[in-house]
Amino acid sequence: MTTMTQPARRRYRPPRQLGGGGRSSGFRFGRGRGPMAMAFMLPALVILGAFVFWPMISALRLSFTHSSGFGPTTWVGLDNYREILHDPKILKTLGVTGLYTVMFTPTAIVLALALALLLTNKALLGRGAFRTALFLPFVISMAVAAFAWSYLLDPQLGLLNYWLREIGIQLGNVLQDPHLALPAVVVVAVWKSFGFYMVIFIAGLQQVPEELHDAARIDGANAWQRLTRITLPQLSTTFAFVVVFATIAALQAFDQIYVMTGGGPYRHTQTVVAEIYSQGFKKLDLGLATAISYVLLLITLVMSLIQFRFFGSREKDVVG
Amino acid sequence: MKKVMLPVAIAVSAALALTACGGSGDGGSASQSGEPKHVNLSFWHGYTEADGKVLDQIVDDFNKSQDEITITDTTKTWAEIGDTLLTSLSADQGPDIVALPAENLPIYASKGAFQDLGDFYAEDSTQSASLNEQAVSMEKVDGTYYGVPLGFVPLSVIYNKKLFAEAGVDTFPTTWDEWLDAAKKLTIDKNGDGKPEQYGLALPDHATVGNGVWASLFYGGGGGLIDESGQSVIDSDANVQTLTTWANAVIDDHISPTGIDGVKSDNLFSAGKAAMEVGGPWMAGVAKDNGIDYGIAGIPAGPAGAAASAIGISAGVTVQADETEKAAAEKFFQYFFSKDVATKWSLGSGWPPLRTDIPASDVSSNPVVQSLTEIAGTARPLLPGVADSVDVLAAVDEATQKALAGGDPASLLKTASDQASEALSQ
Repeated sequence: MTTMTQPARRRYRPPRQLGGGGRSSGFRFGRGRGPMAMAFMLPALVILGAFVFWPMISALRLSFTHSSGFGPTTWVGLDNYREILHDPKILKTLGVTGLYTVMFTPTAIVLALALALLLTNKALLGRGAFRTALFLPFVISMAVAAFAWSYLLDPQLGLLNYWLREIGIQLGNVLQDPHLALPAVVVVAVWKSFGFYMVIFIAGLQQVPEELHDAARIDGANAWQRLTRITLPQLSTTFAFVVVFATIAALQAFDQIYVMTGGGPYRHTQTVVAEIYSQGFKKLDLGLATAISYVLLLITLVMSLIQFRFFGSREKDVVG
Repeated sequence: MKKVMLPVAIAVSAALALTACGGSGDGGSASQSGEPKHVNLSFWHGYTEADGKVLDQIVDDFNKSQDEITITDTTKTWAEIGDTLLTSLSADQGPDIVALPAENLPIYASKGAFQDLGDFYAEDSTQSASLNEQAVSMEKVDGTYYGVPLGFVPLSVIYNKKLFAEAGVDTFPTTWDEWLDAAKKLTIDKNGDGKPEQYGLALPDHATVGNGVWASLFYGGGGGLIDESGQSVIDSDANVQTLTTWANAVIDDHISPTGIDGVKSDNLFSAGKAAMEVGGPWMAGVAKDNGIDYGIAGIPAGPAGAAASAIGISAGVTVQADETEKAAAEKFFQYFFSKDVATKWSLGSGWPPLRTDIPASDVSSNPVVQSLTEIAGTARPLLPGVADSVDVLAAVDEATQKALAGGDPASLLKTASDQASEALSQ
């Protein structure tokens, strides 16, 4: 006969709040712990202040000036923002960025999710090897990937064109074709980044309780129903993260465009960040460049808030 | 324990903050004693190949030639200089002297990055150096000199002698008609699919070498980009005729692929898939590395004669330098333009001499330099003094790229001219 020793019952006490907040909720310092916490937070705050908040405030101030970073700085009020609204070239970069985001985000997410579902299927052999292979493009730098793809797509010297020509397909000069250049850089960006989103989806899929699928199977749900009624709703938090992350990445597209097309042909791939670079570093107009940066920040913020709100309400529906 | 921890935490925080915020400090360029001040100058340039070693040697020789000034030169790529000059100068951590592509000088000068070098050009030694006037004109912005030329070379044609011999072209063409004929003979489409395996000419239609290929053709055709009063003449009849001639040769006779830039053009020539290209002097080394038996010649004369846009490199003294440092930089420039050093730099860099009193025979030990020196008189600076060259060149690029893709040259050049005029008026 085995005897079990019952531990002495103790009343549950929730863990004390960081910073010595005590019983009440909210951020409050008490009994001398506050200064200590502040002291330990100080390095991080100093670094954040020096390298994030101060540059942001400086940039905001700069956006109301005509400035090159050296020489005289002239206060121009909202002139730079007015120029953004009235310059068709800058407005076109907003359109190009929007189109890039619309093409990139769904493509990368759907591809990543499809491969994540495939690679979490236990019937598939060599899942680890596939996952590694598909994640690898994310590890290399975008500039290297862009250079490699530029050579592959070269109409005269590129391997891809050579292979396709052998089977009778003429791809042409896609990177200088006004209709194909943007889709081409989107394809490269998707190839480069979908592995990262796939890994996040895989992590999310592994959190979905197997019991839910088992119960659904017993109730007669088929694979599609299990995907749409169990897997996808359970992935809503992961989805929110990936959608917001991919959207922000798309809005910031620059390096592959800088390397592959330089914004061409005739500005058909000139994104907002490429325009910021051009205004800041080619034309030395830091005031206008930072004003465009703030417009992009505002757009990113609004889109992220909309997405969080949308996914937040979806999550409530699922939980409810 | 808490009493000990709090000061420790504050001390660590303070140390970290000081480490993060503390600048490295320049340490000053002059000694504090009563002795004549020793001046230290920093000098950025983008000569990364053998030319960079020659420039290092010239700087070293200058440092040894006197004991008042020490110049420390740093080699970066031209692109890196373009990306870091703005930030380094705004942080007061930039160079005292910087070399950069000549078409970038006006924008930096107009924003106040460079100092007026009028006093340098007024010096007797500078005036007697008989510097190439076209090269010096690159340094003038709104009537003020902001730099000195470090390099000035006309674009030229590099050609593959083996492919010429195979096509039965014995001599290099000297006129556009001969050039077009040669390009057609050298274009080979073995399977007749309209995609030649070998092109007679690699003619970039955008982002050309030194942005000067189309400027060269426009000059040769009797046109140009801007006139002497700074107005756009991009849509002139001569330019329309020039663009039509070359677009037809590309579209109808397939003498060149379309949609290529200067880098792709170099690649095609290096791979032996193009018999000719318009390029810079460095292509001689590239051709040699790729085992190509090459020749270099001036751009054949158009209806208005022989002309070529030049690739220029300028050096300016930044606003970071004080009066003493500026005077020291000017002393270095005087040394740099002395006849012996100018000859040495020409031979080492592979670019023609900047002094007009150094004849081609003085640089005959380098046949490429000799060839380029012989055609140096045809060179014209690209958009001298134009601050917004980025928009002007982008407008021209759009017109040439669309024209070679089948667009109407006249309307495209009209649009480009309007865009350029708008940029020039700002």
